[in-house]
Amino acid sequence: MRANTGAVWGAIGLLSFALGSWTRASGRAGPAVTGLALVLREGIPGGGLVLLVGLVLVVATGFALAGGGRPVGRVLAAVAGAGVLLAFVGVARAAGPAGWGALGTTASLVNLTGIGLARGRLVRGGGFVGGAILWVALLVVLFIVYPVVAILHASVASGGALTAGYLLRTLRSPVFLLLTHETLPRPAPVVALAGAGLGGLLAVAWGGVRRQPVRRTVRVAVTLAAIGAAAGLLVGARGALRNSLLLAVTVGLATTGLGLAFALLDARSRLWTRRLLGPLSLVPIITPAFVLGLAFIYMFGRRGSITHGLLGLDTGVFFGPLGVGIAQVMAFTPIAFLVLSGVVRSLDVALEEAAQTLRATPWILLRTVTGPLLVPGLANAMLLVMIESLADFGNPILLGGGTPFLATEVFLAIEGRFDPHEAAVYGVVLLALALALFLVQRRWLAGVSVVTVTGRPSGGRPVPLPRVADWSLTGLFVAYAALSALLYGSLFLGGFVRVWGIDHRLTTMHYRDMATAGLPVLLDTARLAAIAAVPAALLGFLIAYLTTRHRFLGRGALEFCALLSYALPGTVMGVGYILAFNQGGFKLTGTAAILVAAFVFRGMPVGLRSGIAALAQVDPALEEASALLRANVPATLRRVVLPLVLPALLTGFIYCFVRAVTAVSQVIFLVSPGHDLATVLLLSWAEYGHLGRGAALASVLVVFLAAVVLPVERFGRRESRPGPSAAI
Amino acid sequence: MKRTLNMIGILVLGLVAMWPLSVGAQGRLNILCSPDPAWCEAVKQSFGKATGIQTEFVRLSSGAALARLRAEKGAPTFDVWFAGSGDSHWVAQADGLTEFFRPKAWGELRPQLTKAVDGHYIPLYTGLHGLGVNEKLLKEKNLPVPETWKDLGDPKYKGLVAMPNPNTSGTGYVLMTTIVQIYGDDPGFELLKAIHKNVAQYTRSGGDPSLLAGRGEVAIGVSFANDVVERGRKGFPIRFVAPKDGIGYEIGALSLVQGAANRESALRLIDWALEPENQKLGPQNGEVSIQSHSRTPIDPDVPRFEDVKLIAYDFGKYGTPAVRDGLIKRWTEQVFPLPR
Repeated sequence: MRANTGAVWGAIGLLSFALGSWTRASGRAGPAVTGLALVLREGIPGGGLVLLVGLVLVVATGFALAGGGRPVGRVLAAVAGAGVLLAFVGVARAAGPAGWGALGTTASLVNLTGIGLARGRLVRGGGFVGGAILWVALLVVLFIVYPVVAILHASVASGGALTAGYLLRTLRSPVFLLLTHETLPRPAPVVALAGAGLGGLLAVAWGGVRRQPVRRTVRVAVTLAAIGAAAGLLVGARGALRNSLLLAVTVGLATTGLGLAFALLDARSRLWTRRLLGPLSLVPIITPAFVLGLAFIYMFGRRGSITHGLLGLDTGVFFGPLGVGIAQVMAFTPIAFLVLSGVVRSLDVALEEAAQTLRATPWILLRTVTGPLLVPGLANAMLLVMIESLADFGNPILLGGGTPFLATEVFLAIEGRFDPHEAAVYGVVLLALALALFLVQRRWLAGVSVVTVTGRPSGGRPVPLPRVADWSLTGLFVAYAALSALLYGSLFLGGFVRVWGIDHRLTTMHYRDMATAGLPVLLDTARLAAIAAVPAALLGFLIAYLTTRHRFLGRGALEFCALLSYALPGTVMGVGYILAFNQGGFKLTGTAAILVAAFVFRGMPVGLRSGIAALAQVDPALEEASALLRANVPATLRRVVLPLVLPALLTGFIYCFVRAVTAVSQVIFLVSPGHDLATVLLLSWAEYGHLGRGAALASVLVVFLAAVVLPVERFGRRESRPGPSAAI
Repeated sequence: MKRTLNMIGILVLGLVAMWPLSVGAQGRLNILCSPDPAWCEAVKQSFGKATGIQTEFVRLSSGAALARLRAEKGAPTFDVWFAGSGDSHWVAQADGLTEFFRPKAWGELRPQLTKAVDGHYIPLYTGLHGLGVNEKLLKEKNLPVPETWKDLGDPKYKGLVAMPNPNTSGTGYVLMTTIVQIYGDDPGFELLKAIHKNVAQYTRSGGDPSLLAGRGEVAIGVSFANDVVERGRKGFPIRFVAPKDGIGYEIGALSLVQGAANRESALRLIDWALEPENQKLGPQNGEVSIQSHSRTPIDPDVPRFEDVKLIAYDFGKYGTPAVRDGLIKRWTEQVFPLPR
């Protein structure tokens, strides 16, 4: 690194310190004041920390100017690194929110540390790489790790002391988990025992009939008994934990089954309906997960058009966990489909051909060859859907009828009771479940490809499905597609009908209401999402680049944390953000900035995945050639890599944008006067019964997103898609 | 490459096009708004137009609004708390979250209301609490219209009742306090448990049960009369029923938030909202109840206080923070988790 880059950053830092505001003007902290002025005004007692930061900055600049030797570089890194830590502590302890001066000072210190690391040969690739690694690590720690730590802290700490009180109180609360009660028909442990017994008996019977060796029978008996016990417990108990788990398991099973059916159809069907499956996979991306729930109310309520109008039933059974489950199956099946279609397409056809030459019928082929090969993919899909189901907030709150679920209880604990400790405990449980599933998925199924592979599998054509299977699965798909079409159709129609179910006269009243109240909010949301999608895609790409092309200490941890944000439930992150960013220098609540931050870090994993996929298609030899010609890393990135990955970056940008617009579970905590979001508004209209307006807004939202996504899909069709990314 | 650059160009143009034009506004106002969002919208538009102040609101039910104010104590984002049932405003004032004062129009407000609030909040409207009943559905099921709160606990209404969750809704809280005041603490909670078994849905907001009853999802919704009348006007087959063993009522409130950033604008809103002309916005947008200014005409659809048996609602007791929090906690732990 040439010496003057360090000097430039040092100069920027000193200027920010002297002229930029250390704290923004705010009601309580008073007017904005620059760092220098703060030091001069307060002297050592009040401004000591800030003074130290300033001194460190001067020293670091000096070292930067001093030259490019290795020991000098390491000293520079150490000094500037200490400065960064001090600056953070100073900002955290400040009375008011951090201003541009503080940000500029910290930024320059970080970059100086990066330059120092590069000069000191602790990181290879030059100052840019050093700085980039630090920045990425800093952002990930600040916006992903810190909120999680904040929520963990809130669940076990009160004031300054650690206490298990909140944990015990909430975990023992009957809303969380209820095992025995006089109104329950049978206590849950009894049902669990019955389930275990049943499982064990079945295993023993199977072992006896099939004449299996004793040890094997015992193993199977133990496994089946455990599964039986778990199932019994889920069925017999009540409470938020049980509801969420039961829902996740059933929805996971159902969507995996459907997804597999559709994936098989997509790859192997002989019927023309196969071509409809492509558009199906786009649908969950452009709809917030609860919009279908809204349509559900129209169709399947007690007076719903289907249940009452068509079938003449009179039942409210669809309001409640059953309705939530069906809505989730409708919303998440395309995720399972996307995962499984990649797996099915990449099956090695040669194995099947070999089985065929051994005279296997299509049924036996499916059962003994294709099936076992699919098991990892099935498990992968199921785990992904289970995480989405656990984290889903919109459907349970719209359709749940007040039944407690973990995600909704986190929200209600904050919104209804403002008990951050109780919310934190629910959040921690939800987090633990989602993390456990995520870790299982990574560990067990790390090798399974999730990105849709483009290109032909080796060998000949895949074996088509047996005719009976083909027809029945197609029937299933047609039913699913018809239901989907019905729900979306009722959504579009609902915006034009005066009062659904009561007064079917057509009207533009709802659209007019929506235009005054909802359209400005939608535009505002789109603006914020677009602003957030740029850093999201770039940050994701940068992390992808650093983790795939460079080696450094902590690379694995960085990659893990970045992907982690994909598994973190939105409600947990929402509570984490309001706990983490509510006071001191980090105060972001009540601004648009916190919404943008939430969007960026929700979208970042999407950018990361698309970045990894894009970089996989660029040969590292190109970058090596550029390095041989003495271009430094920024130049290589700019002139060699970026032009090649630009289409994928654009696609990533669009997906980040869409994910931001359709987010609801995290941002519902973060809206403030003047900073409302379309999905939150939609939810509140739906809840307060303004269904006509809600349907109008939902229709406009869906059409808008479709208009955004479709051209990009056509544009980027050659590039591999970034994988399933549902809107939560 | 050219295609890509074109795409980028379009995106940038799109971004620029969406940039909002900054409006030169004199002052801002942030309202914490608890009633029907339509009323909030109407206030925002009218007040904004009348004064030029840039008005924003966030809609939260009374219980949730109280929780939010508690959370932001000392550094509130809101300047004024508009409407919502008086119990929560009473608690807020007792907790030091809101500031009570007598506005200019105090002498012209209805005297029963100004007396009842006892220096805790400014009355905005008052309405009866009771049931919204869908008689069509009940007739289909051959069930009689419930006459008392005790009837509501009868198992024949299983799955036909909707009520708001007292944690978030003022309407739900008034149900609890009414039953407790009529029947006593422990028998009251037994009745609440019986009612809980019949509940098909708990809603977050007090306005929802009447909507559910109107749509025929349930037959009976616990609700304030204004919501029921509003739904009836929209064409839903729903009617207000006042249980004969006694009903409670609410006094809708208006409070200045302690430490408000835009105090001047807030004071202007309070004076504006108490003018008879502007109070008419309430009944036009879902709040079909008696407005607090004595000269505001009463809508003929509003059920009259003289026709029902009112309990002597002890606002003071049930506005005490400790009592309120204790009752809600007891309900959440003893009634809500029961299987239904």
